[in-house]
Amino acid sequence: MTSSRSSFRDGRGFDRLLVGLTLGFLLVFSAFPLVYNLIMSFQEVDLFTLGSFDRPWVGLENYADVTGHRVFGLIATNTAIFVAVSVAAQLVIGFALALFFQQSFPGATWLRGLFLAGWIMPGLVVGAVWSFILSGDFGVLNWGLMTLGITDGRVFWLSSPDTALYAVIIANVWLGVPFNMILLSVGLSAIPEDVYEAAELDGAGRVRRFLTITLPLMRAQIGAVLSLGIIFTLQQFDLFAALTQGGPANGSNVLQYWSWELSFTDYRIGQGSAVSVLMILLVVLVAVVYVRSTRHEHVA
Amino acid sequence: MLRDDRFARAGLLAIALVLVGLYLFPLYWMYVTALKTGTEISAWPPRFWPETPDVAVVEVWERLRMGTFLWNSLIIALGTTAVVVLLGTGCGYALARVRGLWMDVALFLILMMQVLPSSLMITPIFVAFSQFGLLEYPRLSVILAQVAKLLPFYVVLVRATFLQVPRELEEAALVDGNSRLGAFLKINVPLARNGILVAAVLIMLQALGEYVYSRSLIQERAFQPATVGLQSFMGPNTSDWQGVMTYAAIYVTPILLFFVLLQRQIVSGLTSGALK
Repeated sequence: MTSSRSSFRDGRGFDRLLVGLTLGFLLVFSAFPLVYNLIMSFQEVDLFTLGSFDRPWVGLENYADVTGHRVFGLIATNTAIFVAVSVAAQLVIGFALALFFQQSFPGATWLRGLFLAGWIMPGLVVGAVWSFILSGDFGVLNWGLMTLGITDGRVFWLSSPDTALYAVIIANVWLGVPFNMILLSVGLSAIPEDVYEAAELDGAGRVRRFLTITLPLMRAQIGAVLSLGIIFTLQQFDLFAALTQGGPANGSNVLQYWSWELSFTDYRIGQGSAVSVLMILLVVLVAVVYVRSTRHEHVA
Repeated sequence: MLRDDRFARAGLLAIALVLVGLYLFPLYWMYVTALKTGTEISAWPPRFWPETPDVAVVEVWERLRMGTFLWNSLIIALGTTAVVVLLGTGCGYALARVRGLWMDVALFLILMMQVLPSSLMITPIFVAFSQFGLLEYPRLSVILAQVAKLLPFYVVLVRATFLQVPRELEEAALVDGNSRLGAFLKINVPLARNGILVAAVLIMLQALGEYVYSRSLIQERAFQPATVGLQSFMGPNTSDWQGVMTYAAIYVTPILLFFVLLQRQIVSGLTSGALK
């Protein structure tokens, strides 16, 4: 008691207490569910065994059932496409916008900030608005595409298995662009102006300056945006719920949505846990790579 | 020369306005559709301005019992924010002040907790909460689950703010005989107040829009928040787009107003926290 009180007075105990409160909460409500998830993925968990603490162990059966399921290949491919296309499009569009708003004109910073209005919106509302924009019969996107002559007829974005995934991707890119743009803008404004001036004196054109100065100096920033983009994209759930519910015929289903479906609509909770464990491993792996790379930047 | 420059700036501004307009078009479309009646909504080509504007706010509010949904959203968001701020502020402060292996480990763990997707954590959280009887208190369940999700983000944001508070002021207060707690509350918290406020607003906005936990942990309609209400109203084959968009507009207009008022602070808070 005396020792803890003296350490409280000299300060270390105070700091430990403050960090301990948060870590304690996270231990109970994040770390424990993680472990419990892992345990359940090796058990048979359904409506009958839900309340029991003594469930039958099934070894790797849940994992085998899930990966051997006839839709697993489709859903895994969808997940890869969803992440790759979303992240790439967000990066390219976000980078282009960041470069544009880096130029000096009145109101540039304020106008750039307006883009975050999209990021602040609840995912479910964004999904609702896009599901009307994407609607096949009187959707304004179809009208735009047909007026510009890009498509001949109406595209039934949400109800056709070939386009449903891309419909969700469009909405997801819209949500993700502002975040990419703001983070890349921060990196761009950190590049000293005189580097460009020197290159201009040496006769380097715009494209050359972009390729030899901007891209290399933005490497860390692009890495950060890519990893955060992958993490956020793997967290996306609301847009699937609002736009397609993973359908039609799993055409737009992804692993994070499937995991929820297995647990909450099929009540095959053990299998939902198995998918969840696999996905969490993936997300944590990306996060570790990201955190390690930022650490190196700080040391350097 | 100067003339050219002015033209170029005006041109850039014009392009910028077009880009912002294109990007924010979905928001405009939400408000315009909320003002259209059924015939105008199914008009082809689409009408970009309602010819006979029809405000359905009162009707939608009453028919869909939005008062209950929004009240639940507010309770959940305020509860989440309160717990996050109470727990997280001190943690962010300690992580900014103390350096050492253990603090690095703690920070790393907190960063890892931040990336766990809600849709994947909900399975074990649901089963555990139902076994320990927490589902009897559905809104509290959602608050606890959300705090676990948002607390790390808040700690990271607030830590970045406390890093900017000069150490000397706090040391002077300690020399004057203040306790650590006294110095923290009287010196550090007031000086970091803006950063704390912005971080709290960001947490509250996220909590206001949460869906997965509420959908999965709250069975009873009377306790569901606005996101779940919107989803069940939309259904798979909705044709009442005026109703959906009116609902959406009522729900997000306060959020957007908040954003416009605090735009600059939100942008700077976000950029300082996300990269450190």
